[in-house]
Amino acid sequence: MKIFIDPPNSLVLFDLVERFGHEPLSTMAAIQERVDNLEVDMPPMNVTLDDVVKGLKYAGIEVPSGVRGRLALWGPLIEEADAAIIMDDCPYSFGCVGCERSNLMIKYLIHRRGIPALHVKYPETDEDAVNFVAQAKEWMEGLK
Amino acid sequence: MSEERETRLFMISPRSMLTPDQLVRMVHSFGDKALVKETCYGCLVEAPRSEILQILAKVREKYPNEVFSKIRAYRCSDPRRCRAQHGTRPGYAQLEEEWALLAKIQYGLEKVEAGAKYDPKPEKKRLDVNTFKKICEVQ
Repeated sequence: MKIFIDPPNSLVLFDLVERFGHEPLSTMAAIQERVDNLEVDMPPMNVTLDDVVKGLKYAGIEVPSGVRGRLALWGPLIEEADAAIIMDDCPYSFGCVGCERSNLMIKYLIHRRGIPALHVKYPETDEDAVNFVAQAKEWMEGLK
Repeated sequence: MSEERETRLFMISPRSMLTPDQLVRMVHSFGDKALVKETCYGCLVEAPRSEILQILAKVREKYPNEVFSKIRAYRCSDPRRCRAQHGTRPGYAQLEEEWALLAKIQYGLEKVEAGAKYDPKPEKKRLDVNTFKKICEVQ
């Protein structure tokens, strides 16, 4: 199954999803497509006109352009996903208008699609990590 | 996902005794024609996707819980990212944070492999009125 990971560029989630036999949908794959196929100077910092139009599908014209740019990458991935795994309270996943609103929009889009979604807490201790890995493993095995 | 080219990032958990040098030598010893670049956290490997998956399987077989990997959008030594070519290296702060987390994840994977199960913490319930009154009453 195709599983969308949130944060979309997380090494830990990407590795765990692949380890437990599913295909992770991540930012990296979307950017790689732009690096290989499009003559864009520096994706994702630079976008094409098509990206801007795609982003409008997920966020209105009045929202900051940073949100639309991000959703142009992540929106199609969420639509393609069969399930999603979301890590809450990541210390590196924060921000003001662009970053935080994009993170909230991702969660909203996932829940609006109604696909199975697992919320896991960022592990602070070794015991939390055991619970986190066990929970993710059991959930992903149940998806097959 | 592109089948022609895949660049993988292999990151070693800080709890592991493996060094980036050992990891690079091991990947080279597989004899594939992949491009391997040693980094401070592990290595970058670039090859067609089918070859990369074989390398990943071999690395996982040897170090199942110590080496973690994800794909990388840019090629190895891309001037827009590579520090040696004065690239900007955006996003490294997150990798550094996740590198610290890998020690805990390695511990978690080892325990789960040994049979640990998910043990949800009991949900906090609301205090009923009588108990609350007892707490408030002066003894």
